[in-house]
Amino acid sequence: MPGPVEYSIWLVCTVLEVAVVVCAAKSRSFRRYILLNVYMGLSFLVSVGRYQVLSRAGMESLEYSYFYYYSDLLLTIALYFALLNLYSLVFDEMKVERYLRLGAILLLGGTAWFSYGVINQSSQKILLSHFVYELSQNLYFVGLVLTYALWGAVLKLRETRARLIQLVLALGVYFSAFAANYALQNLYPNITVLHYVTPLLGCILPAAWAYSFLRVSEDQRLAPSRLAEVPR
Amino acid sequence: MSRRLTAVAFLAMLVLAGAMGLKTVVVAHSGNSVIMANGGAPQPPRPPQ
Repeated sequence: MPGPVEYSIWLVCTVLEVAVVVCAAKSRSFRRYILLNVYMGLSFLVSVGRYQVLSRAGMESLEYSYFYYYSDLLLTIALYFALLNLYSLVFDEMKVERYLRLGAILLLGGTAWFSYGVINQSSQKILLSHFVYELSQNLYFVGLVLTYALWGAVLKLRETRARLIQLVLALGVYFSAFAANYALQNLYPNITVLHYVTPLLGCILPAAWAYSFLRVSEDQRLAPSRLAEVPR
Repeated sequence: MSRRLTAVAFLAMLVLAGAMGLKTVVVAHSGNSVIMANGGAPQPPRPPQ
């Protein structure tokens, strides 16, 4: 069972998830960033659900394990659509929303098809839990690549909207931090402190997004020269 | 119009290929551990396969 440190980090993370939705509503940006808020709201509900299942069934139970991985897929799909919300905001002046939607559906379908293909190759019996786990992992990597591509687009288009830049950058830091922590855990499996770092990293995204909604107004602009020098 | 649709499909497949390539590299250098990036809940062992 998790100790008081893990429970405290989890609680902070859950409170921050609610804070994102509250701050977005307070700054009248709820509808503009609707999918980001849906993701955060869903994260909060999943956290509450996971706590209920964990306290009833225990850490080693199949019930918690299944609930955790199934809800993780749900959250990863929601995060994927939140990322598309950011894409549509970055490219809103180019009027390519229709193509973005089509590309998103193709990519999601392609990832699901690829995940199914991997399971089909590796075992004769197709288990739904195996598919859910594989799809969740694959979507994580798709999200990672899409986030870096979006950051490249933000630089190339010389985006100046401070809040949008912070939201995208926070997502990039979030994905990168998890990837770095994952690499460190594999390199140094005996360092137990890294296991505390993983849930702590989960607080990065809600904290950064809550800060963006609370402190950075929609009209605030960054000077392009401060962002980066990109030759056109 | 169809050229744009082809470009969208090509880009989507390019992202998918890049992401799966990255995943293959990462998984090849790791044990049986998983990468999960949603919330602060403690991670349970994987369900039996």
